[in-house]
Amino acid sequence: MASLPEIGFLRRVVLFKEVEEQVILALWPSFRERRLKKGDVLFRAGDPGEELFLIKDGGIVVSKPVTGRVEQVLTRLTPGEVFGEMSLFGDERRRSATCQAEVDTMLYSLDRDSLNRFVASSPLAAAKFFQQMAQVAFKRLRDSSNLVAEVTRWGLEATGLDIEHK
Amino acid sequence: MSEVGDKTTEGRPKRTRIELLVRQTDGDGFETREIASGVAYLHSRPQRIPDADWEMARLPYARQGVVTYALKNRRTEQIIQISETEKFLWEQMDGHASLQEIATAYLLHFGSFDFEIIPTLIVKLLRADLLTMRPVSRLRAVLARNRRNPAARAMEGTLHALERLTVTSRRSHQFFERVYRYGGFLLFTPWAIALLALMVGVGIVSGIKIWHNLGEVTQGLASHPLVAIVLVKVVFFLTLVNHQIIHALACVHYKRRVREFGFTILHGFIPTFYADVTDIFMATRRARVVNAVAGPLFHLFMGAFCFWLATLLEPGLMQGFIAASAILQIQSFFISLYPFCFLEMDGYHVLVELVGVPSLAHDSVRFVRESLWRRIRTATWLTRQEAICLAYFVLSLVSIAGFVLLNVWLLTSAGSS
Repeated sequence: MASLPEIGFLRRVVLFKEVEEQVILALWPSFRERRLKKGDVLFRAGDPGEELFLIKDGGIVVSKPVTGRVEQVLTRLTPGEVFGEMSLFGDERRRSATCQAEVDTMLYSLDRDSLNRFVASSPLAAAKFFQQMAQVAFKRLRDSSNLVAEVTRWGLEATGLDIEHK
Repeated sequence: MSEVGDKTTEGRPKRTRIELLVRQTDGDGFETREIASGVAYLHSRPQRIPDADWEMARLPYARQGVVTYALKNRRTEQIIQISETEKFLWEQMDGHASLQEIATAYLLHFGSFDFEIIPTLIVKLLRADLLTMRPVSRLRAVLARNRRNPAARAMEGTLHALERLTVTSRRSHQFFERVYRYGGFLLFTPWAIALLALMVGVGIVSGIKIWHNLGEVTQGLASHPLVAIVLVKVVFFLTLVNHQIIHALACVHYKRRVREFGFTILHGFIPTFYADVTDIFMATRRARVVNAVAGPLFHLFMGAFCFWLATLLEPGLMQGFIAASAILQIQSFFISLYPFCFLEMDGYHVLVELVGVPSLAHDSVRFVRESLWRRIRTATWLTRQEAICLAYFVLSLVSIAGFVLLNVWLLTSAGSS
């Protein structure tokens, strides 16, 4: 369990922006603290996933295996950002990417059961929580489609393939 | 993945970068690397298709000492012409050497390097390898860019539909081989040349006779103008088939393959027959010239023959029609042999063989558009090839302008008389 309620920090986390303070205080005992050393792998793509994470300090690099020891960096996450929610709410309960500490990092985790209890006990707060979660998901979707376009452009430039003029 | 910025100071988009995470072999340690697309391009290792799938033939242009090569993809049967330097690059593209290494090898071999030569060659090679990458006209490109406009969309659809009106036989080679075996070969003997010379002589005499009786001949046409126009057009259209058949037989004569024979709507509005005899590029220079000249010579023969036939007939519609056909055939002979019009017709191919610049039309437009003004400003002498390109461009421009003016004059004269 996390040591002291960090209301100020949780207020900065987009998921809890609209949630009342007493609800956060009630949820706080469910958070677990995780500390990662630089280079530690939190989870790998394909691992089963049962919790989401909030970054308190440090940074996480999210990558997807490409070939051998090479992975593509999808994004970098900084304090206040949330990740790992896809395996909780998505249709597949497995991690879609690998998350690894880029520097020494401190996280808070919230598992599925705690979240379910939170939803059952505070449906109104849960609605606000999921509304923000949807915003996060939309942003991820937008970022992904931008990434696809950029990767395509990179591929065209890297292969010298001139579709437009030839 | 990140971008350095959206635009450079020159307004061109900057190269994209991709960010990769590379794990260490022991444990979870890793490092991230940003790879710019330009760097990836330099490190790409182009690989030519398996040796069994391509062949190369030297195309000697001994007069000017310029050497080019025909490179053929045996699978797609597409052929491109490459220069000596491009041949060197092609030989390096074994899938092991990166573009950077190839460029270094080029520099060491030739002493100088223009990096544009590699992307240009790669585009050429890619195009030769892709069956679906058909040449797209500028009109089609403009229409494609303006698909939101209903008129442009409708026009593009119409052009697409017309272009699909193509009747093609890909097994025509066997047919032309049979035609050649059962008599077509006679066209490529000294006897055929002698007969052509004789017929041209007879045709000149007959043409002079017709000229002297021009009034009677044209009267026959004038009395049935509509029938005369239709007849002349139909017969001319049929002779176009023969023109292409002669090209195909010449191809067979030099033991090369006729890839296709058929009918199509060229550029969406010119109905025409065609024979794909591009395999002739793999043959000798003499074979290519004979192949190019064979088609127009058929028009010369037909023109002379029609003049002679017209003199044997009584004045009337038939004589007028035959004489008009003769004139049209002679006109076709000269037009198809005239090289200066930016169109790659038979005469253009002969000219290319003479001057030794394989892509003359393309090079001339490119030179005038991209380099001529700079040359004028710096007052530097043109190289031989540049002078040829400039001469071709100017002559073609003057020819087209002259042709347009002549037609305007004819129309206005006809209108006022």
